[in-house]
Amino acid sequence: MADVSLDRRPAGAAAPAPAPADDPAPVAEAVVTAKARPALNPARVLRGLGSGVNRIAAIVLFLIAWEVLPRLELVDAVFLPPFSEVVVAWQELAVSGVLWNHTQASLIRSLAGFAIAIAVTIPLGLILGWYKPVADFLDPLLELFRNTAALALLPVFVLILGIGETSKISIVVYACAWPILLNTIAGVKGVDPLLIKSARSLGLPPYRLFQKVILPAAVPTVFTGIRLAGAYSILVLVAAEMVGAKAGLGFLINDAQFNFRIPDMYSGIITISVIGLVFNALLLRLERRFSTWRTTQ
Amino acid sequence: MSQPKISIRGVTKTFSVRDANLGRPSQFTAVSDIDIDVRAGEFLTLVGPSGCGKSTLLDLIAGLTKPASGTILLDGEPITGPGLDRGIVFQQYALFPWRTARGNIEFGLEAKGVGRKERRARAAEFLDLVGLSGFADRYPHELSGGMRQRVAIARSLAFDPEVLLMDEPFAALDAQTRESLQEELLSIWQRTGKTVVFITHGIDEAVYLGQRVAIMTSRPGRIKEIVDIDFETREGDLRADAKFGEFRHHIWTALRDEVAAAQAHEREAVGSVG
Repeated sequence: MADVSLDRRPAGAAAPAPAPADDPAPVAEAVVTAKARPALNPARVLRGLGSGVNRIAAIVLFLIAWEVLPRLELVDAVFLPPFSEVVVAWQELAVSGVLWNHTQASLIRSLAGFAIAIAVTIPLGLILGWYKPVADFLDPLLELFRNTAALALLPVFVLILGIGETSKISIVVYACAWPILLNTIAGVKGVDPLLIKSARSLGLPPYRLFQKVILPAAVPTVFTGIRLAGAYSILVLVAAEMVGAKAGLGFLINDAQFNFRIPDMYSGIITISVIGLVFNALLLRLERRFSTWRTTQ
Repeated sequence: MSQPKISIRGVTKTFSVRDANLGRPSQFTAVSDIDIDVRAGEFLTLVGPSGCGKSTLLDLIAGLTKPASGTILLDGEPITGPGLDRGIVFQQYALFPWRTARGNIEFGLEAKGVGRKERRARAAEFLDLVGLSGFADRYPHELSGGMRQRVAIARSLAFDPEVLLMDEPFAALDAQTRESLQEELLSIWQRTGKTVVFITHGIDEAVYLGQRVAIMTSRPGRIKEIVDIDFETREGDLRADAKFGEFRHHIWTALRDEVAAAQAHEREAVGSVG
């Protein structure tokens, strides 16, 4: 609500008002005139466009640099081909269906691991958060595992589960499990005691208290964990696919590098980035939808 | 005389606390040997210095904690735990932030097992009672402090408890909002005939609202005195009534020593920690 006036201030300030910082009067005036004249839409639309341009400006500059530097031979075009060449290679991979095959393989592994992690760790986290002694007992162990990089355990997974799908999905499950588990525990533990007291005063039995108070109160925290896990599911998988895989974007990137198809390698990398961005944006949207009520807390 | 609604007899409540100096648990007496009856349909206010165990007493009546000794009877039956025959209104509203105003009011009705249709009708009725008909779909963070407390009051009334327990419900509100809510609360009480136990640290509020004011001593809390607030008429500006000043002064005098004692306690506690 407060940013209504902030939004409009530049428009008001466009009228010459050299406001010295120690004199609040001109600022106040500007706000008042802005409020009196709500028909400032063109200015706001421009500003909206401006902020949109601002948001991608850095990316555009980066891509221009990527295009220009190899062409000016400031970097070796063999190792970093201009962006346009990568785009051409990407198109070829996409049209031939190769890119989709690899993407599909990666997505299935990622999503399977992600889903399994959610299905297993949310209930587990709820239980651990609810039974405080158990959580306190396990906490040091959980901290230990959480701080062990998932990829450090990749050789162990391969050793025990082989180099097939099982070990790849397992490493994703492992990496996704920790943020979800720890956030779920924190969400349950962090419920405002007054809300619990208030519900208890109505004579709610424990399981109803859990369903009606603990669970909804914990949802936003749990979702933060899910969003983190979403990012991990892709990060970890790509690395896993570089070890003994026959398909997947990680394999594509590695394989292209081995065979000196450098534009293909960058195509794989770009695809990973875009998937990561889209996945994160989707989860962020979902998270917002479930936590609209938390805006002021 | 008919049976009291709430009968508190010789109630003492102690807590185990970790003593900062000794590093081992010690006993802390919050309230001691409380004796008081609350009549059906009465508005009783409870004043006392901070930390005197007012809230503890309310928790005991609510059934959220059990006394170390003594008995609390509700309609002649011992209180065994929390229940829908008593509703609590907290100072910090304690609204569920993920539920709308309507959803919050329906909460107690869900606990009671009231059907969906009736829940909705009852919620609308009680939103109307507290003057928030247009705000059914607002979330707590979209409401002002006064509105939140109205929703909390509506929530506690909606499931139709016989006793309303209020723990400094207006303390966090600005003076104007507080006064208008006090007036509304009185009118709701008159219309619904609930028994109200209202905790406050404001003497004016206690005199304005209560038919009787129970004064508590400093820690451990005991009932020091019970003052009957018998205005001839409650019409007009009660606060301007000469008798209002008399009651006020009487309670203020009774509390003055207790507040001094409470402050001495606090200094002692701070001194022993530091």
